[in-house]
Amino acid sequence: MGAVTDDEVIRKRLLIDGDGAGDDRRINVLLKSFTKWCNSPATPEEGFTQHQRMHGTLAQCEFSMLKTLMVYDMNIREMENYEKIYSNIEENITSAHEKISECKKEIQRAKRIRKNRQEYDALAKVIQQHPDRHETLKQLEALDKELQQLSDIKENVDAKLELRKKQFHVLLSTIQELQQTLDKLPCHFPLDDDKLETDGNNQESPMENGE
Amino acid sequence: IERLLHMSVFSQSFSPCGKFLAAGNNYGEIALFSLSAALGPDANELSQKPILTFTAHEGPVFSLLSTDSHLLSAGNGEISAWSWAELIKKCLCALPPSLRSSLEIPEINAMALNPADNSLAVGGGDNNVHIMDLENGAFKSVLQGHTDYIHCLSVRERASEVLSGGEDGAVRIWDTRTSQCVHCVEVYKYETCARPQHGKWISCLTTDSDWMLCGGGPSLSLWHLRSMSPTSVFPLSGCQRQATFYQDMILTVGEGQCVSHCLMGGEVKAQIPCTPHSINTLAINTNSTEHRVLTVGGSSDHIDVFTNLSYKAFSLRF
Repeated sequence: MGAVTDDEVIRKRLLIDGDGAGDDRRINVLLKSFTKWCNSPATPEEGFTQHQRMHGTLAQCEFSMLKTLMVYDMNIREMENYEKIYSNIEENITSAHEKISECKKEIQRAKRIRKNRQEYDALAKVIQQHPDRHETLKQLEALDKELQQLSDIKENVDAKLELRKKQFHVLLSTIQELQQTLDKLPCHFPLDDDKLETDGNNQESPMENGE
Repeated sequence: IERLLHMSVFSQSFSPCGKFLAAGNNYGEIALFSLSAALGPDANELSQKPILTFTAHEGPVFSLLSTDSHLLSAGNGEISAWSWAELIKKCLCALPPSLRSSLEIPEINAMALNPADNSLAVGGGDNNVHIMDLENGAFKSVLQGHTDYIHCLSVRERASEVLSGGEDGAVRIWDTRTSQCVHCVEVYKYETCARPQHGKWISCLTTDSDWMLCGGGPSLSLWHLRSMSPTSVFPLSGCQRQATFYQDMILTVGEGQCVSHCLMGGEVKAQIPCTPHSINTLAINTNSTEHRVLTVGGSSDHIDVFTNLSYKAFSLRF
């Protein structure tokens, strides 16, 4: 592990050094020129130019340092931005998951509702096949009335029948009695003239009618 | 190869954890498939083969049922209970079942579990429905009344009733507490459902506590149990062998080479094609949420697995 990280470190340092080869070299050169300038017994003009040159190099170094600082700032801000986006997306994912489970529940509910509705429809179909209750009641009422009427008629007819029976019975019994009296009559014939006349008047008319 | 060609899958059952599927075929074998392996991201051909196959019975395994801890298989006259824990551990060597039923019932076609009183209703070729208590394996009662052998059973939990459909064309509703037949519906006598060209037998029966689906010779029809009247008849040409309610739809399989999706109103919404030409069994894995699949088995050695109801995902092979 240590070897790997060392390699990484070396690689990184090489990269950085490679990138900023100008910078590192510049700083070294600056240092060397500064020491040379301090120790050089050269003319003031040369010294001044050297001095200016050193300022220039220094400025260059500062400039590149500023650049790197800005890049670093930018990187940090980009990182933050990405972090924000990342957490945003995560939230969206979780809310989408929740919505999915909600929808699944909805589907289950809807399926149950559909099943209930179909059961209802199926039952309704069967019920429709049976006749309406009102109509059946009305039919029942009409039938009842008819029944009542018919039984009234039957009673009347029965009563009439009874009456006729009784009347015929009376008639027949009267005829019977008359017949009996007539049968007894020949014995009484020579004796009771008066009685016969009165009876005969009554009897002749029906006997003539009978013949 | 010939053996595979003549194989028919008659029954299926999912494990209580939802990760395994047990399928029984006409040779008396039960094969255990691992769903997590077959559905996993690195599934290959090998994961579509069973992890364990064993011969459970001499005759075909017509019915498989899972309780919380055991797999019940019905063979020719006997019911065996296998422990799921042992099966999952793949104990191949001399796997004796934990329990064998005491009573010999000829040709068990259907079994249904009644969780209310932990009993098992068994329908058989002797025209009777036998109720067995699962705790001690003893047979509690016999429901007699059918005049021909029983094809299918269903349990109506809310009212604690058992429904049975048989070859005699009658669907009988029995009260489990009194062991009496509460209703008897002769489906073929209803003009809307009857299909005399196919016969009068009822081969598929399922209930949703208020509604009942039954079909077979007569067309598949939806009945309202309270009023005992057929509300919708489904225009499917073949004879249906298994049907189930799923969410707001009805899934049914039978003689056609497809799974039919129907709505309760009576319309057929979709027919999804699958491998076997004639399908005997349909099962939905409700025991697990991540392996929620529909599996279909029939007159082929392939068991089709549907991860999405609209199309067949892949097939498991015996």
